[in-house]
Amino acid sequence: MTLSPEIIAAARALGESLRQHPLVQAYHHAVACFEADHEAVDLERRLYALYTDLIRRQEEGETLSRAEVQFFNDLKQRVYQHPSIQAREAALSALKPHLASIANELTLRLGVDYKAVVLAAGDE
Amino acid sequence: MDETPVVTSFDDAVLQAQVHALATLIQETDAYQAFLRAYKAASEDAQVQHLAAQIREHNRALQWAEGDYLAHQQALEALQAEMNALPLMQTYRQAEADLVRLFAAVDREISAALGVPFARNARRSGCACGR
Repeated sequence: MTLSPEIIAAARALGESLRQHPLVQAYHHAVACFEADHEAVDLERRLYALYTDLIRRQEEGETLSRAEVQFFNDLKQRVYQHPSIQAREAALSALKPHLASIANELTLRLGVDYKAVVLAAGDE
Repeated sequence: MDETPVVTSFDDAVLQAQVHALATLIQETDAYQAFLRAYKAASEDAQVQHLAAQIREHNRALQWAEGDYLAHQQALEALQAEMNALPLMQTYRQAEADLVRLFAAVDREISAALGVPFARNARRSGCACGR
């Protein structure tokens, strides 16, 4: 879908204004802190790699050992409890209601559920 | 993070104006207008209304576990197929797909400038599970 230059400009202007909001700034700050925290980045990377590997092996019919599942759960706990990751997730959680209010306003103006239509693109 | 106020209302005049401007431009697109026409045509069509009423009735029966589950399922599939075969509905589905592509493209622009996937994170709940 090719957008008109006017729509692109209006959408970007809205996104840039939203970016100035303290909640968005706080989220980007939290992301920057996370990215500078090598331990946190490595921990999260290891969790996703392990998750992908376990899912793949399960889908191939392998039964995972209790020790492997326990190791995964322990790693997940460490990721969720890591201060940099917790701060990033808390900032994202705080931001969501603000974005929801903007999306709702778009829905009211358009008469079509903006968020539902956008997310339907992922189902196609 | 504790000192950051949680904003749950939409009261910024600049943002309101920008939302209004964007919505107006979207409403002027061919895709949006075609969707409105297709929606109106489908929702006002007697045959579509009749089929939709039958579909609702079978869905209701399934929800309340009334009658033969398999018979309701088969009837639903047949009715859905009949509905989808209507030229009016094919036009509607095409218009809907075009609208989805339009909105997804708009959302990519907003998200790129925002630095966060916009629609995906537009949630009333602050749950972090949907990242």
